[in-house]
Order: sequence, then C-alpha cells, then structure tokens
Amino acid sequence: MTIAVDEQSRRRTPRHLLLLLPTTILFVVFLVFPYFNMVVMSFRNPSTRGVFAPGFTFGNYLESLLDPDFYYLAVLVETILFGVGTAFACLLLAFPVAYHLARTTWRHKALLYTFVLSPLLVGVVIRCYGWMIILGNNNGLVNNLLRDLELIERPIRFLYNYFGVSVGLVHVFLPFMILPILGAIQSIDPRLEEAAQSLGASRLKVMWRVVFPLSLPGVQAGAILVFVLTISSYVIPILLGGLNVMIMPTLVVQQLLDAMLWPFGAALAFILSIAGALSVYLYLRFTARFMRGIS
Amino acid sequence: MTVLAGNARGQQHIARWLLTGFIALVYAFLLLPLVIVVLASFNSGEFLTFPPEGFSLRWYKSFFNAEAFVNSLFYSLRLALFCTIVSTFLGTSIALYVVRHAGRWREHLRLFILLPLLLPEILTAIALLFFYYNFDALMREIGWTSLVGLLRNSMLGLLIGHVLITLPFVFLGISSSLYNFDLSLEEAARSLGASRWRAFRRVTLPIIKPGIIAGALLCFIISFDLFAISLLLKGIGIATLPIQLFDYVRWDFDPTAAAVSSVSIAITIICVIITDRLVGLRSLRF
Repeated sequence: MTIAVDEQSRRRTPRHLLLLLPTTILFVVFLVFPYFNMVVMSFRNPSTRGVFAPGFTFGNYLESLLDPDFYYLAVLVETILFGVGTAFACLLLAFPVAYHLARTTWRHKALLYTFVLSPLLVGVVIRCYGWMIILGNNNGLVNNLLRDLELIERPIRFLYNYFGVSVGLVHVFLPFMILPILGAIQSIDPRLEEAAQSLGASRLKVMWRVVFPLSLPGVQAGAILVFVLTISSYVIPILLGGLNVMIMPTLVVQQLLDAMLWPFGAALAFILSIAGALSVYLYLRFTARFMRGIS
Repeated sequence: MTVLAGNARGQQHIARWLLTGFIALVYAFLLLPLVIVVLASFNSGEFLTFPPEGFSLRWYKSFFNAEAFVNSLFYSLRLALFCTIVSTFLGTSIALYVVRHAGRWREHLRLFILLPLLLPEILTAIALLFFYYNFDALMREIGWTSLVGLLRNSMLGLLIGHVLITLPFVFLGISSSLYNFDLSLEEAARSLGASRWRAFRRVTLPIIKPGIIAGALLCFIISFDLFAISLLLKGIGIATLPIQLFDYVRWDFDPTAAAVSSVSIAITIICVIITDRLVGLRSLRF
C-alpha cells in the first residue's frame, strides 16, 4: 500500500506542472520578456526613418534628464507632487467614510459598500464623461445652474485645468483609499475606543489618538496605491485636462504614438517608474517611525 | 455645571450631524457622475439642465444607428467573453497550484501572478506594444510572413493583454476560497474510490464555485472597461467600446455618448446583480 502511494506521488509531479505551466509561460513570454525588451528599447539609438537605429546609447536618459530647459524634469516633479496631493485629498475624504462604514450597524450596509465600489465597476471614460457633463466650461450643469440663479455672469472654467483633473482623479481613486482603511479599522477592537472614552477622552481625541494611529497600516497602503495610480494615469488627465495639464504619462504616450520616438518614450517611462518607486521608498522610510509597534 | 454639560452635549450633537453630512456628501460625490450620465441619456435636450427638458429616447436611437458604436459594443462583449473564459481557466489552475503544491515558492509565485496589478497598466501596454512590433520584425526576418501581424492586427494580441490584467483578480478570488477549503474532504472522496478528476469535479469544484463565479464576473467587467491596454494595442480599424467612446467625447459633447455609457453601466449592473444572486456581493474581492 505504501509503495503504491509513493509511486503515485512520483507520477503526480508532471501532472501538477500542467496547472502551473500555461500561466507561467504566458507571463514569461508576454510580461517578463516585454518588460525586459522595453529596458533594452530605452537604450536604443533613435532614428528618423524607423522606430530605432542599430547600436546602443545612454543618450535617451541623458537627454531627458539634462535637457537645457529642464522641461522633462519639471513635468516629472509636477507629476510626483500631483500624486502626493491626490493621495492627501483622498485621505481626507476617505477616512470618515471608512470609519463610518466599519462601525455602522445599519441594515443596508451592503448597499453602502456597493456605493464605495461603484466607481471601480464603471469604466474610467464613462466616469470622466460624467464629470464633463457636470463641470463643462460652457454648458456644464454647474455653470448652467449658477447662471440661472444669476450668481455668475460668465461661466467658470472648471475643466481643462488642474482643478478638473483633480476632481476626476480623487473620484476615481477614492475607493482605493477607503477599502484599505476600512480593513484596518475593522481590525481595531471597539473596546479600545470605549476604554479611552470612559477615561475621559473626547470623541475627537479618541479619533486622533487611538483610531487614527491604529489604522495607519491601512492609510499607508491606500496612500501608496493612490499615489502610484495617479502618477501613471493617462485617461483622466487627457479628458479632463486637455493639453493644458501635461503630466508624465501623457508625455510618454505622446512621444510613443504621435512622435514615434520609441527609445526616448521608453526612457521617460522608466524615469517615471524609478522616481515613483523612489518616492514610495522615501515615504515608507519616513512613516516607519510612526508605524513602529502597530503592524 | 449642568448648563455646561448640556452645551457640550449640544456641541457633540452638532459635530455628529456635521460628520454625517460630510459622509453623505462623499457618497453623493462617488455616485454623482454615474447618475448624471444616465439622466443625460434620457434628456431630450443637447445639454443637461435643471429641471431637465423632457424625456426622450432619441440618444439611444442615435447610438443604435451609429454603426461604429454598435460594432465596438459587440467587439467589446466578445473580447470580454473570451478573456473571461481564458482568465478563469488559467486563474483556477494556477490558484490550485499555488495553494496546494507550490511549497516554499508559494509567496514568490503569488507575487509573480499579482505582477500585472502592481505594475502600472500603461507601462504594461507600452511593453506589449514594443514586443508585438519586434515580433513582427523578427517574423519578417526569418521569413515566416504568414505570422506577421498575428499579434498586432488581431484580437489575439488584445486578448493576451486583457488576460494579463484580469488574471490576478480571478486568481485572488479563487485562491482565497481555496485557502478555506478543507483538503480532507477531497481525500475522503478519494479513499471512497473516486478518481482524482472525479473527486475534484464532484467535491472541490462545487465548494470553490462561488470564488470562481465572482472572479469570472469581475474579470468580465474589468475587461469590458479596460482602457490603456486597448488604446495602445488596438488593431487597425477595430476599437473597443471604451476607445470608441474616448474618441467621441474628446471632440463631441452630444448625449449619444451618454446613451452608450448608460448601456455599458447597465451591462455592469447586470453582472453585479448576477454575482449578488449567485454568490453574494461579499465574494467580490479587489
């Protein structure tokens, strides 16, 4: 009997590989290799006739980092700051909602949960289009309303500037901030809050000194998610910012699809990725002090 | 003293109402654009005003008369269906491997499968674009000209991109239901004489079914709405619905786009309701 089982387990090995292989092959061929290929592409020589010329160079990186007007660097800094700003705005809106959702005993809690998820389930183009109807510069809902109420004479420009893009980004990425914070707050024992309150702390103080510090892991996860998603978002800046808001992804796609400068575009994409990863690393280092003893 | 306490209670009362109001506003903010799009699609005027000008289905008529939109709607539905089939199949098999057989490589493999989620979608799209181009160039060089354009000008290339992006979601759903699965149930079936495949089909599969269904429907929704990958990888002349919509709303504001969006929202809602009925919304995992 034992021999039979042993033999079986030996024969089992190749069959298990059937579960593993298809996905692994797909990922190696169509994910790992293309990324490797993109790294190579960023070191290729640019060409005016084809997509790239033979030979390799550091020129693409040097050109984007050391260009005399610092145009690309300025766009990069702007992109990073924009990511930080969006993450912060999302945090301010998300925290009360997450706390309420974690502690509410309302019967239709599942409905609220669906509301939080709703932006994730609808395409990004549709969500932007909704904001275009609401904020439209000439015949948008808000402008029409304000004009009918005779509060303004000339329409306010909500769209095609940083304001419009920020509204769109915060709307789209808010669930990514709410969900991790919700998870963190749900794992806090409610008796801790009761204890603090019974010892005389006000509700605000309980929030600030007990709940918020304990939910920091969720805040951290949400902030990183929103930051990374923002600095790599393309659709929202294009639709709500037009050509007035130039951030890195827009610039990269422009170089690739309009100017056909593939090696240069690839180099820009990698500079953005490295800057993004570096920012996340610095942020983790900075917040490590506050997180000690929590997670 | 009592007056003071009453005051404090009053203040707390006000603070509570302010907080509730704030939370309600955030929910309104989350839902507003979707509600507005649906309202605009039924509005008879060119622009949405308050009060609305009247009820009309003219934008839906204009949508179904626009061949480009209808074609891309069906193209998107087909693509999402294929993507769901492939992703669910691959996601189930890799989840089974990771949970049951991966051993000490489990965490590494998990991270590897989740890579498309961790990497920016636009970057993955660019990488695939380069790769497909180089594939064509290579095929031309070695003389296999029939394979040129296999990935770049067909649904296949797009499908591969969609599968890469959606597979982690399916994997997450299925592997979490597998972690809770008691392996001794399958062993019991085996010891009673069921073959390996039969034990899997009759015992394991029914138990992990909720995870698979939730994963598959989420996969369908995500593929149907996917944008960046489709933008960079679309073959010549074929556009998915989000791409067609994107091209349209960049230059036109008329509510035909609202009708298209509403149909798309309706498809998503149908998927969510199916998920809710079959397995409950809680199994939707992100």
